[in-house]
Amino acid sequence: MIILQVLLNGILLGGFYALIGVGFSLVWGVTNIINLAHGAIALLGAYITLFLFQYYGVDPFLSLPFSFIPLFIFGYILQRYLLNLVVKAQIFMLLILTFGIEIFLVNFMTTFFSADFRSVTPDYAGESLIIGDIVIPYIRLAVFAICILITLLLSLFLNKTWTGKAIKATSLDIDAAMMVGINPAKIFAITFAIASGLAGVAGSLFSLTQAFSPSMAGSLTLRAFIVSILGGLGRVEGALLGGIILGIVETLSSYIIGESYKNAITLAIMVLVLVIKPTGILGKKYFAEVKH
Amino acid sequence: MKRLSFMMGVFLLSFFLISVSFAADVIKFGAAISLTGKLAKEGNLVKNGYELWKETVNKKGGIKIGNRYYKVEIKYYDDESDPNRAAKLVEKLITEDGIKLILGPYGSESVFSTSAITEKYGALMVQGGAGADKLYTRGFKNLFGIYTVATEYMDDTLKMLRNKTPKPNTVAIVYSNDLFSTQVAQGARASAQKYGYKVVYYKDYPKGTQDLSTVIVEIKAKNPDILIGCGHFQDTVVIVKQSKDYKLNPKAIAFSVGPTLPDFVTALKGDAEYIFGSAQWTPTLKYKDPVFGSNENFVKAFKAKFGVEPNYHAAGGAAAAVIFQRAIEKAGTFTDINKIRQALASFNEETLFGKIRFDATGKVVDKGMPVIQIQRGQQKTVYPENAAEAKPVYPKPAWR
Repeated sequence: MIILQVLLNGILLGGFYALIGVGFSLVWGVTNIINLAHGAIALLGAYITLFLFQYYGVDPFLSLPFSFIPLFIFGYILQRYLLNLVVKAQIFMLLILTFGIEIFLVNFMTTFFSADFRSVTPDYAGESLIIGDIVIPYIRLAVFAICILITLLLSLFLNKTWTGKAIKATSLDIDAAMMVGINPAKIFAITFAIASGLAGVAGSLFSLTQAFSPSMAGSLTLRAFIVSILGGLGRVEGALLGGIILGIVETLSSYIIGESYKNAITLAIMVLVLVIKPTGILGKKYFAEVKH
Repeated sequence: MKRLSFMMGVFLLSFFLISVSFAADVIKFGAAISLTGKLAKEGNLVKNGYELWKETVNKKGGIKIGNRYYKVEIKYYDDESDPNRAAKLVEKLITEDGIKLILGPYGSESVFSTSAITEKYGALMVQGGAGADKLYTRGFKNLFGIYTVATEYMDDTLKMLRNKTPKPNTVAIVYSNDLFSTQVAQGARASAQKYGYKVVYYKDYPKGTQDLSTVIVEIKAKNPDILIGCGHFQDTVVIVKQSKDYKLNPKAIAFSVGPTLPDFVTALKGDAEYIFGSAQWTPTLKYKDPVFGSNENFVKAFKAKFGVEPNYHAAGGAAAAVIFQRAIEKAGTFTDINKIRQALASFNEETLFGKIRFDATGKVVDKGMPVIQIQRGQQKTVYPENAAEAKPVYPKPAWR
């Protein structure tokens, strides 16, 4: 029975990982930027939720648009006026730049919100659905549902709208995309904006299930990184699959082998995927190709 | 011209005499401590403890040796929270400034590195800022520490709980895999066995973990009466939140670190209620003190000087200095390190920090750890009984 509970926990956790990973994966797949500031941007969303909850009593779930929109704009500006300047430079330069942004954001948050651990605890926190021996906290269930919903919406957006198709086209072949009138700089900026907005939403949801502080940015980025590798770059379904695999692997290895070995196992699986199928489980060739 | 040089001569001579007499009437202590860097908060609190002690002693005339009173001076260096730098600065204190009475820095790493230097030069250190067991396993003779060490952290909590009704029988111990928490957990397991509990769960998790739901689910399956968490502040928050999520309802939850910090209640609000924590010291302890008169007076004096209630960092600093002073007075010398060391080795006095005795390794023994419990958002001392502000609430009500 306990194994069922553990598996369920893994799947629920996986939904969150999918959401944090999908933006990261999209940016990497489309613009070839490994955004080391992704986790820090997510934490900004967590602080927005905390701020609204503490000072205005806004329900954490209702604050999602308030973390999406500002971070969408923030991401757009960041890409358009900063990252675009060096997007054609070597990958190393981009890593340094995004790492710099991460350091800046983490210190910014430390200055304004202090390094203390915070958590958002609405009245209904701790309420759970109980089926026999299985306990499913409502909040985790809701977080999972929202994560899945948003990932599906993103998939629809990419496949059905002009902008979405333009994003996919740009990631496929930047020159051909330009030939049909797509402005890559703009597409890059929109992609980055979407990714940042989604990271913000993920952060808001994160604040509901766990305690957070600015120091957590790095480990969130790492999770996003692993999800992208597992699922394949730039693919929404990949992120969903990668997220759920990561969630299950983490909880199962924690249960079977021990919490302390969890990260080692996760990284081992990532290496395994890279060796066997370097494009990720659902990745197709073009998404992972270096385009410069 | 002659007159001027005569005047200057007199002036210089008197200045010389004054400074000689000053030098003779002063006992100099030295401390390399974290005034900046990541341990700045704690370092400055320890320093505040030293400063309050110095002021109080000097107001009374100073340290009495024979029939003479000596004023106290403390020379500080900022170790910038770097143990290597702390060691260099203590070397400087001893070799350049000629100070052999060293007040400890804050943090086990810094005490570890600096005590090696005091040992090397035959200087003496009394410290109230570090609790790692490994400090006392190196055969040092010149280091004395007043923090209860890691392996004894949870002993009093388990002792307090053993006679409660309904009687708790089983204990789950979960700990962060860093050195300090591992030692706390090992000690907790030993104490649990000593008091006749059955340890039904004993596992570690990686330092800085964010999700412990699997661990919580596993512990829940064992249905322990007592849950002991040995980790850091963040872990305690995660454990409490997720225990609530998964309806893990032991009769008592106790943490080694966490509930003693004000942030604990800020982060958890109502969920922090009735959780136990171990403290090196609490403001309500009813001990006498040779310098401040009593622990209560120390708390009052600290509040008057710094405007805030002292915590155990500040109390540890003040208490270490008090013990140093008493040892010097007993030894009747402040230059003969050997005699002062002997006075420390045979030390047995009540101070604001507790009844202090050292074993052969310089580690404090039988001091105990007061237990606090969060009640209505406040930290209340609930053990030992003679210092208790409130009765411990047991069993802990189930999560709402």
